[in-house]
Amino acid sequence: MKIELTLNGAPVSVDAPADTSLLELLRDHLDMTGVKEGCGIGECGACSVLLDGRLVNSCLTLAAQAGGRKVITIEGIRGAEGGPNDLQQAFIDYGAVQCGYCIPGMVLAGEALLARNLEPTRAEIREAIAGNLCRCTGYQQIVDAIQATAIKRQENSNG
Amino acid sequence: MADTLYVGKPARRVDALEKVLGTAKYVGDYRLPGMVYARALRSTLPHARIARLDVTPALRIPGVLAAITCDDFIDHGRFGFPVPDMYMLAYQRVRYVGDAIAAIAAETEEALQAGLEAIELELEPLPGVFDPVAALQSDAPIVGESPWDAPELPRGNLLTRYVVRKGEPDALLADCAVTLDEEYSTVHQEHAYIETEGALAAPWPSGGGTSPSGGAGVTVYASCQSPFVNRNNLCSVLGLPQEDVRVIQPQVGGAFGGKDDQMYQTSGQVAKLALLTGRPVRMIFDREESMIASYKRDAMQMRIQLGADRDGTLRASKIHAVVDSGAYAAITPFTAWRSSIHAMGPYRYDACHVDTDVAYTNNGYSGAFRGFGNTEVCAGIEQAIDQIAWEIGMDPIALRLRNCLRPGDTTPHGQSLGDDVALAECLEQVRRLSDWDRKRAAFSAAQSEPSVPGAMRRGIGVAAVFHGMSLGAEGADFAVGTLAINDDYTLTLTSGLTDYGTGSRTVFTLIAAETLGLRPERIKMLRPDTDTAIDSGPTVASRSTVLGGNATRVTAMRLDSLLTHAAADLFGCQAAQVARHGERYVGPNEEPASFEQVVDHARQMGLTLSTHGRWNMPEIHWSFEQGQGKPYFAYHFGAQVAEVAVDTGTGKVEVTGIWAAHNTGKVIFPQGALGQLYGGITQGLGYALIERVDYDSGYMQATNFDEYLIPTAMDVPEIVGSFVEKPFAPGPFGAKNIGEPGMVPTAPAILNAIFHATGRHIRHLPANLERVLLGHDLRKEGSNMACKLGLRAERPQTTLQEAV
Amino acid sequence: MERFSYVRATSIAEAVALLNEPGIRSRPLAGGTDLVLLTRAEPALCNRVVDISLIPDLHRIHREGDRVVIGAAATFSEVIESPIVVQTAPVLIQACRQVGATQIRNMGTLGGNVANAAACADSLPALVCLDAVARVLTPQGEREWPVSELVRGPNRTIIPTGGLLVSLSYPAPLPGSQSVFIKLGRRNAMAISRLTVAALGRLDSAGRIAEARLVPGSATPQICRFNAVEASLLGQAPSRDLYQSAARLTAEEMIRLAGRRWSSEFKEPALIAMTARALAQVFEPERRNA
Repeated sequence: MKIELTLNGAPVSVDAPADTSLLELLRDHLDMTGVKEGCGIGECGACSVLLDGRLVNSCLTLAAQAGGRKVITIEGIRGAEGGPNDLQQAFIDYGAVQCGYCIPGMVLAGEALLARNLEPTRAEIREAIAGNLCRCTGYQQIVDAIQATAIKRQENSNG
Repeated sequence: MADTLYVGKPARRVDALEKVLGTAKYVGDYRLPGMVYARALRSTLPHARIARLDVTPALRIPGVLAAITCDDFIDHGRFGFPVPDMYMLAYQRVRYVGDAIAAIAAETEEALQAGLEAIELELEPLPGVFDPVAALQSDAPIVGESPWDAPELPRGNLLTRYVVRKGEPDALLADCAVTLDEEYSTVHQEHAYIETEGALAAPWPSGGGTSPSGGAGVTVYASCQSPFVNRNNLCSVLGLPQEDVRVIQPQVGGAFGGKDDQMYQTSGQVAKLALLTGRPVRMIFDREESMIASYKRDAMQMRIQLGADRDGTLRASKIHAVVDSGAYAAITPFTAWRSSIHAMGPYRYDACHVDTDVAYTNNGYSGAFRGFGNTEVCAGIEQAIDQIAWEIGMDPIALRLRNCLRPGDTTPHGQSLGDDVALAECLEQVRRLSDWDRKRAAFSAAQSEPSVPGAMRRGIGVAAVFHGMSLGAEGADFAVGTLAINDDYTLTLTSGLTDYGTGSRTVFTLIAAETLGLRPERIKMLRPDTDTAIDSGPTVASRSTVLGGNATRVTAMRLDSLLTHAAADLFGCQAAQVARHGERYVGPNEEPASFEQVVDHARQMGLTLSTHGRWNMPEIHWSFEQGQGKPYFAYHFGAQVAEVAVDTGTGKVEVTGIWAAHNTGKVIFPQGALGQLYGGITQGLGYALIERVDYDSGYMQATNFDEYLIPTAMDVPEIVGSFVEKPFAPGPFGAKNIGEPGMVPTAPAILNAIFHATGRHIRHLPANLERVLLGHDLRKEGSNMACKLGLRAERPQTTLQEAV
Repeated sequence: MERFSYVRATSIAEAVALLNEPGIRSRPLAGGTDLVLLTRAEPALCNRVVDISLIPDLHRIHREGDRVVIGAAATFSEVIESPIVVQTAPVLIQACRQVGATQIRNMGTLGGNVANAAACADSLPALVCLDAVARVLTPQGEREWPVSELVRGPNRTIIPTGGLLVSLSYPAPLPGSQSVFIKLGRRNAMAISRLTVAALGRLDSAGRIAEARLVPGSATPQICRFNAVEASLLGQAPSRDLYQSAARLTAEEMIRLAGRRWSSEFKEPALIAMTARALAQVFEPERRNA
C-alpha cells in the first residue's frame, strides 16, 4: 500500500506492505538509519521517534498508522545551522555519549519531555527516559544534559 | 608534576557529534550495492550429534545464493584461544542451544527464512549436563571430549584448573578465634549491549593468483572488539594471506567483553559467504538470537573459608571455586585464572589457598564480560569479609583498613607492591563521601526498634576491589601506535586498540595532544582498521589507557623529538635550547615559530613526519604449578559504598545511593572516566538485583529485554564518583585504568547493605524479590518454547505471562 | 506477502462496519503495542487490521451525569493528562502512570489493555475497583458489561466477534473518597506487575469506614473485588491491626480463588504487605508519605 507522511518536515511517499513497521519504513525505505533497532518488541526505546509530537517505539507502530501524520527522527533534530541543537550539544558537553547507540532515542525522549515541561526534576527526567535503555552510561550524564538544557530553555523563554 | 594543558581537563569525546546527530554508522546501517543477507541455522537442542546435514536443498530456493557448513573452512573452521575448541560452524556435534550449524546467504528475508527451513538436519540427542559440579563427576556425560582429530584438546569436562598457594590455611583456620565457612554463587550475566552482533563482508579482487580464494580478498566490517584477532582467525580458517583480509571496526554499540569470540565466528561465516557469492554479505542478529547464541559471563559456585583473630586481623583464607565454562572454552580459562588471583580480595593473609576448577557443560558458553572473573569472586569474598566483621562486632570499613594491602606489602601471591597502591585512601574517601559513620549507626539503631510488618529498612554496605591491570600472565602484553602529520597540518593517529564506546579514542587523542602541545582538534584518530593500525593484541582487560596510552605517548614523543630537531635547525641552535609553549616553538633569539612553520621546515630538511611507538608491559611471571609469582604488573584499587532501602513486605530493594572512590592514577579524560564508572556501577547494580541468565536443561529462560531485565534510569540512584589520583609512574601521565574495576565491587556493596538492613545474607545472586523476602528463590519463569521459538524469525508471543 | 491489510476507520460506525465485513477476518488496531507483537507470533491472526486510533470520539473523556466516560482509544498518557480522571480516580491515574514507560503510555490504550486482558494488565484492577462498565458496539446494537465480567481470565474476554469496545465508564466516587494503586515489579519502569492492589475507601463523619473496595491484580485468574474482605472493613475504625487482618483475609481469598501455586509462597506475604499498605493510604491519606 501507499504510505504518505511528513518526515522531518518534508512529505514522503512509500510503497510498502501493510504489515511494515514504522521502524522498517524509516530505516529500510527512507534511509533514516539514525533510528535504531535494539530489541524489536518495544522494550529498549532505541527505535523511538516522535509521532505527532509524542514519543513512541517505531518497532511497535505500523508504518500505516503514521500515514498522514508527522514523524520526527533524530535526523530532524538540528540546530539553526544544521549542526547540533542545544540539547544535542549538551549531550556532547556533559559526557552523555559513550557507544552512542541509545542516543538518538534518548535525544528524542529529552525533546519530548522538554516540549511539555521546562522545569523537570531529576526524578521526572529519569521517568521521561525510563523507556530508553542504556548499557554504557548509567544514565547520570544524560540526566545532566537534559537538565542543563531545560534550565537554559526556561531562561530563554523568560526573556 | 607540572600542570597539563589537555590531560585531566574537561574535554569532549571526539566522536560524540556524529552520535548525537544520528549520522554515526554501525554495521547494521551499512548498505553496499548488491548486498545480500545471511543468517545461521542454530541448534535447538543442548547436546546432539549431527547425524545428517544437507544444505543443498536450500540452494534450490530462489534467492538463496550460498549455503555453508564447517566443511567450507580450513580444518573445519577450528579456532579459539587459548583452547581452540570452537568451530566457525559446528563440527560433528552441537554443544549448546544456539550453536551455529550452517549459514546461508540470500537476497531477501523471505528467501533467507525459506532457505533455513529447507536445510535437512538430523540431530541425535545426546545426554547433556547443565551444572558444572555435576559435570565434574565421573558419571557425567562428556561435553569436552576432544574430537578424534585433535588429541591435544582437554578430555572430559575439566577444562582447566588453577591454584594459588601460600602457607597452610587449614592449620590456621583450626586455630582462629573467628571463622567462616560459607557457599556463594553467581549466575551467568548477559552483556545486553543495545546493538546486537553484526558483520558485513565485502569481497574484492586481490589479484593474488596463487591464493586459495582464487584471487579474492575480503574486507569484514565487524562490530567486534579486536580486529587483529579477528583478522588472524579469518586468515587461518579461510586460508588467505594477511594482505587479502582486512577487518574494520565501525562504530560499535557496546561490547563489555561480549563481542570477541561470537564475532569471530560470525565474521568467518559472512566472509566465506561473501567469497562464495562474490557479493557483500551482512548478518545482523536479532535480539533473541543474540541472547540465546552469544556467550555470557560465567557462573560460579564458591566455598569460602576465612579465619581471623578477635581483633579483626585476617589470618587465613581458603577458596574453592567451580566455574561453568558452558559449551566451549572461549576465554574462560583466562577469566578463571583472574578469578583465582583475585578470589581472596585485596588483603594480607598468613596463609591462602585458592583452587579454581573450570568445567564444560551444555549451557551456553561463557566468555569475557567486564571484570573478567573478578566481578564473580568479589561478590563472594566481599560478603565473607563483611560477615567476619559482623561476627567480631567491628565496623566493615575499619576491618578492611586493618587488613588491606598497602604500598610495599606482599600479596598472597608473593608479589611486592609499589607505592601506587591507594586502597586505604579509597576506603577513607567513600567513608567520608557517604557519611558512613553516621548512617551506619543510625540504620543499626533502627534495626533494634520493634519491627513493624512490611516496614522499610535502610542499610549501608561497603566493598573493596583490586584488579590486576591488563593481561597479566595471559600472554604477550604490548601495544603500538602511529602518528603522522598530514599536508594540511592535521595529524593522523592510529592504535591497534579500539574504542567501542569506552572513550579510548579520546584518551589517546588527549595524550598525543598533551605530549606534542597541540590542540586536540588537530588530531584525528583513524577508526580501527587492520590495514592502517598495528596489531596491539585484543582490546580487553582495561588495558587501553596504559598500554595504548603509553604507545601513543611513545610515538608522540618520537614525533615531538623530530619537530624539536627541525625547530633547532630553523633557529640555528641546539635542540636543548628549543622551548615549546603550546603550539609555538621558541629559540634562544626568542622569535617564535608556529607549528606550521616548523613542519614546513622539517619537510624541507627531508624528515619523514611519521612515527610509530611500541610499549611493552614490564615483565611478570607466574608459576601455575606453585600458585605463586607476580601475576600482574600492577593493580587498580577501589572501594564503593551502597545505601539501600528494603521493603521488608515485598522484598523490593531500592538502591538510594552509591559512592565510589577509585585509585585510577591520573585521570586523563575526567568526563569519560566518570561515565565508565557510572556505567560499570549500573551493570553491577543489575548483577546484584535483577539480572539473571537461567538455563533450564540448557534452554535460556529469558530471550529478550522483557524478561532479561537491566536497570532503567528509574532504577539507578544519583551516583557520586570520585578518583584517588595517586600517580602510577609507568602509566601515561601517571594513569592507571577504570574500564572494568568500576563494576566489580558494586554488587557486594549492595548485598552488604541489604544484610545491614535486614540481617539476611544473600549469598546467591541475584538478590531478587523472592530471595530478599523469603530467603530463597522460587521456580524459574520463562519457557523453553520461547527459547526455541526465538531462534526462528518469528518472535515469541510476549503476552505469554508467567503463570499467576 | 503481507500478513494483513490495513484500513483506517474515521468513525465508530465505519469501524463497526469494517470489523463485520463478511469474508475477511478483521481486528481493531488501537495503540498496536499488543497487536503488532501478536501478529508476529501468529501471522495468520487476521487478514486485516482496522485502525481505530484516530477516531476522535474514541479519545473523548467526559462526564455524563455522575459517570465518567473514557473513550476506548484514549491512550494511557491521555488518561493521565485528563483533569476529570485526575479528580475522580487517582487509582486509575496511578495505574496508568506505572504502565511501561513514556513510549508505551503514548501508544497503548485503555481499551486495548482491557480487550487484550493480559493476566497482569494494570488497568484492570483499577477499573474493577471503580466498578467500571465496558460498552461494546456490534452491528446488532450496544451491549454493556462490568469490566469484572467482561474479562473472564488471562487473554479472555466475552467481547463478541466483530464487537468493538468503545468506552469504559465509571460512577464518580462520592466526595471524601480516596483511592490508590500500588504496583510491585522487579524494577521501577518497564516492569511486568508481579502483584498490584487497587483500593478505594471512604470514612463517614464518625471516622468509621463507610466504603471499602479492594481489587488485587496479577493474583487471581479473574480480576474482581474481594467482597468478603470489603465487608469485614465496613463500619470499623481504621487501625493498623484492622489493615493487617484484612490483608491476611485478602491473601487467603487469593489462595481460595487461584489455588496454591509455586508463586504463592511469595505472593501471600507480599500481598498481605501491599494490601495493608493500600488500606492505610486510603483511610489515612495524611500518612501517605510516612
